[in-house]
Amino acid sequence: MKFKLIYPRWEKLEGQTTFNLPPHGPVVMAADIPGTIEIEFTDENVEDLVINDSPDFVGISMMLTTQVKRGWSIADQYRKLGKKVIFGGISTMLHAEETLEHADAIFLGEVEGRMADIFEDFRRNELKKVYNFIASPPDMNLVGPANRDILKKDHYYHKGFRMVDLFHASRGCIYDCYPCAVRYLGGRGFRPRPLDRVIEELEQIDNNRLFIVDNSLALDTQWEKELFRAMIPLKKKWVSHTIEDKEEVLDLAAQAGAWYVYQAVFDTSDYIRNRIKQYHDYGIAVEGTILLGLDNQTEDDIKRLIDFLLEIDLDLAEFTVLAPFPHTKAYADLIKQNRIFDYDWDHYNAGKVVYHPKHMPAERLQELYHYAWETFYRNEPQTMKMFNLITRVINREIEDGTYAPRRRDLVDVSFGREVGA
Amino acid sequence: MDRYFDFLGQWETPSRCGLKVVRRKDGKTLVIATEIYRQNPGTPVTEWVAPLATQIMHHIVEQPENYIFIEHTPDLRSKLTFYGETFDLVEFDWDGGKFINPKWTRLSNEEVDQLMEE
Repeated sequence: MKFKLIYPRWEKLEGQTTFNLPPHGPVVMAADIPGTIEIEFTDENVEDLVINDSPDFVGISMMLTTQVKRGWSIADQYRKLGKKVIFGGISTMLHAEETLEHADAIFLGEVEGRMADIFEDFRRNELKKVYNFIASPPDMNLVGPANRDILKKDHYYHKGFRMVDLFHASRGCIYDCYPCAVRYLGGRGFRPRPLDRVIEELEQIDNNRLFIVDNSLALDTQWEKELFRAMIPLKKKWVSHTIEDKEEVLDLAAQAGAWYVYQAVFDTSDYIRNRIKQYHDYGIAVEGTILLGLDNQTEDDIKRLIDFLLEIDLDLAEFTVLAPFPHTKAYADLIKQNRIFDYDWDHYNAGKVVYHPKHMPAERLQELYHYAWETFYRNEPQTMKMFNLITRVINREIEDGTYAPRRRDLVDVSFGREVGA
Repeated sequence: MDRYFDFLGQWETPSRCGLKVVRRKDGKTLVIATEIYRQNPGTPVTEWVAPLATQIMHHIVEQPENYIFIEHTPDLRSKLTFYGETFDLVEFDWDGGKFINPKWTRLSNEEVDQLMEE
């Protein structure tokens, strides 16, 4: 049986350098699909999708809200051809009811231990409309290495430089952050994978640079320290979301190859200033993630915040406007106040204002979003700051003996498409 | 809140909220459903407010016209301002056995006290 698994394209953020990373959801799903099934994977962000083919069964994996309309369109086309389509992934869960209108089946929850039964249902022509496992997450012992063999790996190079591979060591989150839907998607408990299985997977990944996509590594100090200790011999270099600011944790993280971390910068406090300095003291770079348009921000606050970012010597900054994704507290609050004016999911890319901010017109927030990008990168462009980060990791890899040189055969290719050198 | 109320949330997810029921002098029943965040394993009150209000109404055996529903979020004492205490009066349309189309109106603490005493 041939299963065609599709990762729909989406429009990238204006003003941001485009990098296409190998997606994580499809490779995790593929790992649970029985080996007798042939998987053909298409990531539409790096290759053209051919629809007039003849798979037996079609799967659409969606991570972002900005993918859903494209995913629905693909499904509609395949269903017109008489093909059965199943949806899964984070944004299928966020937009489940709407997605059902375009699907033969939707999958809600985590895949481990579930796929064999679904393929059997398909074989018997007894697909259920909804496979709902939200309330019954799998035993974390079942979360094995992702199946990265489905990826066309050469498509994830930019001019000969390989992108990071995505990887996860835990699921769930104990926090309930305002713009985040992890509570709904992964549950309110912190669920680490067994450490030996984490290391087993890390050893299998043929890429020295990783993005550890866990919601937060700062949820259990003991686990975090054990993870970093176990990672030290692997000599990987990695990016992650927040890690704890305890000295012993930062020390171990640095030894384990922490390259840079994403750190939310939500105010101009000494807490933030010190946190950035701490990372830097351990040789860990910081990409600030700055959410604009929250109800506690006036125009002056946003301008002060941008000045502050320049003062604290952030290595990179990523600005977004609040996107009220379904199943977040932000969405709930704005719905209650009837402040969302745009429900076109293509616009939920965190670069377009879709609601009425509290302290300014939506148009003004949109202008401030562009002002933030321009002001932060005025003296040193984003490409130069990224070059500095890459240089830093290359130097560390050369010291470690893990440096993999740029692929000369791909210097004219960016994400699967020919470009100038 | 006086007690917990267990309910089936979206996609039949086991969920829990806080509940306070006040029988008013005028014969109406006021219900305050409290979002309990980390103590709620499933769907938040806001996301499921109409089905939840319906479930609670059937539980306390009231007629919809005698039913006043308030949604409450407690103060989490967070550094962020979005987790302060709020009360919202939620009004619905009645559609043959269930509430639909919730509309929220923010209430002050004084307005909540007044609604409880009437």
